[in-house]
Amino acid sequence: MTKITLSGVNKSFGANFPVIRNVDLTIEEGEFCVFLGPSGCGKSTLLRMVAGLESGYSGQISIGDRVVDKVEPADRQVAMVFQNYALYPHMTVYDNMAFGLRQAKTPKDEIDRRVQEAARILQIEALLERMPKALSGGQRQRVAIGRAIVRQPKVFLFDEPLSNLDAALRVHMRSEIATLHRNFPAASMIYVTHDQTEAMALADKIVLLHAGKDMLKHGSIAQVGKPLDLYHRPRNLFVAGFLGSPTMNFLEATFVAQEPAGARVVLKSGEELVVPVDGSALAAGAPVTLGVRPEHLAPVVGPAPQTLTRKVAAVEHFGEYSFVYLEGGTPAPLIAKVPGDGGVKASDSATYSAPADCCHLFDADGIALTHLTNT
Amino acid sequence: MASSPAARVTGRIAVPVLGLFWLAVTTVPFLFMVMTSFKSQQESFSSSVWALPKALDLVNYESVLEGPFLTYFKNSVMVVVISVILIMLISAMAAFAFARMRFRLNDALFGLIVAGMIVPIHITLVPIYLLTRQLGLYDSQFALIGPYVATSLPISVFILTEFMRQIPKELEEAARLDGCGPFAIFFKVFLPLSGPGLSTIAIYNGIMLWNEFIFAYVLTSSTSTRTLPLAIWDYQGQYTSNIPAILAVVTLTSLPLVVAYAFGQEKIVKGMMAGSLKG
Ligand SMILES: Nc1ncnc2c1ncn2[C@@H]1O[C@H](COP(=O)(O)OP(=O)(O)OP(=O)(O)O)[C@@H](O)[C@H]1O
Ligand SMILES: [Mg+2]
Repeated sequence: MTKITLSGVNKSFGANFPVIRNVDLTIEEGEFCVFLGPSGCGKSTLLRMVAGLESGYSGQISIGDRVVDKVEPADRQVAMVFQNYALYPHMTVYDNMAFGLRQAKTPKDEIDRRVQEAARILQIEALLERMPKALSGGQRQRVAIGRAIVRQPKVFLFDEPLSNLDAALRVHMRSEIATLHRNFPAASMIYVTHDQTEAMALADKIVLLHAGKDMLKHGSIAQVGKPLDLYHRPRNLFVAGFLGSPTMNFLEATFVAQEPAGARVVLKSGEELVVPVDGSALAAGAPVTLGVRPEHLAPVVGPAPQTLTRKVAAVEHFGEYSFVYLEGGTPAPLIAKVPGDGGVKASDSATYSAPADCCHLFDADGIALTHLTNT
Repeated sequence: MASSPAARVTGRIAVPVLGLFWLAVTTVPFLFMVMTSFKSQQESFSSSVWALPKALDLVNYESVLEGPFLTYFKNSVMVVVISVILIMLISAMAAFAFARMRFRLNDALFGLIVAGMIVPIHITLVPIYLLTRQLGLYDSQFALIGPYVATSLPISVFILTEFMRQIPKELEEAARLDGCGPFAIFFKVFLPLSGPGLSTIAIYNGIMLWNEFIFAYVLTSSTSTRTLPLAIWDYQGQYTSNIPAILAVVTLTSLPLVVAYAFGQEKIVKGMMAGSLKG
């Protein structure tokens, strides 16, 4: 069993510079868990705590059934792939991969077998005698992954492993990492990134982390869940705004009343919408924020319920889809992502429906109101 | 940075002129030394100082090599090699601790060691002389090694610490994950990666110690234990006015450094610059 458990974990650098607060988290055996969050939110720090490279935290971390807070990194059965690869510059690719096994006094033929096998999986057999400086970025990345594989760890730790690669290679290596995960089904993976696309593509579970004030107020963890759960059911404004591109539209609104179908709200523009959430705790007239993703705004003609009608400020065409910028969003512009060329041009008046299911409502503290049909 | 045309022209003239001037300052004495060492004593007085020797007369070299020159030479090699090895090992270990280990007195100790650079060796002469006598090491080649290592450590620790601070932290962490303790990290990762820094201090200290005079003068007294810089001094007494012979000694003494530079020029320059370059 290699379930990873973090309980009550807090970490500060110096006396009054908290970085990680109140982290309670379980990562199941074989799970692909992604730590996602803005820069500086402590993703790397949290990962390094699991690796055993950070000391001086409170709380408890276990890997499998073992509390590892006092266990040396090498004895935690984890392997880590660093953002800058961290290959030993003075060793060949082969020696880089064999180094850890040699330290562990693994028999020579066993080392050779494992290195050759990892090289085969990663298709770097031809590079084994090269020095790291004679490799391209993608090849270095493979060697770094190979160095992790040969140790046959129970947990793979990746710290932004793709961020130094160019866009095309990144997509390619992303799918290789997904393959790697399938090839080692028993090993858990923790993968740090600030790229939501990577997170959505790879994760079984996303741990989205707060930074700065949010972290101080609500703790480090913003939301934990399956990628689509975070996308469809964000727990607060931060999660709603972090995932999705372009980001979710937020509109100031006022709560009117709770109806059987949901909470009725009125926008500044006077338009009324019903959002299928439980607003029974709110008083009439309470300020709320309506959230709806650009891709969920659908153009409509003729009268329809749940619509927003605005003047078009600008249109950006991308061929497959277009962004229609609408006036009157506060504070950021209101964006609709529509298929094709959108059929409108600047200074037209356009109407978009906001399907009830795709609307989100946040209270004055930015916490999402519970959906009535919580799936 | 944009510079005016006038400044650029001045630069284009001034740099080579200054360069040539400096070349002359450093090379002329050297040429004088080599040329004169081939002249007979007679010739050195009669001919112009700048005249080429009439023939490649090796008589000075013969007479020098007949004497105890080789003993001095051997002593110098032994003392310098042992000292430099010890300096590299000790300062590398100290630098690793200062660069990579976190302990309470890190900064204070580093400051203290580096402050050693400002202590003039002359004020340490008498205590070291007395200490050496008490240890029974007086007039032994080994008496020199202790002071040589000690006086070389501050600058060496300083250079290597700066060097090791630039080795990425992730390499150390990768090694920890690969099962290395502090010693394995030092010997298997940091030491091999410190090659350029180590050659810098080896070269720097090698040159300094090869030419070191004052400790050698104070701590040794017999021919069998003295090093080359003292040989020159001894010969000065022995040959009094035989300037060509003295210059033959000087030429032979500087020969190892010249040869080393000729073969290792690229490495030496690289090593000297290594501290200032990242990665
Ligand atoms: N050794 C350290 N001493 C002091 N502060 C540190 C140290 N390491 C990290 N921090 C701080 O802790 C916070 C979290 O750092 P961390 O590297 O975990 O962020 P991150 O989420 O990985 O960011 P990024 O996406 O930029 O890599 C940052 O504000 C950083 O400045
Ligand atoms: Mg990071």
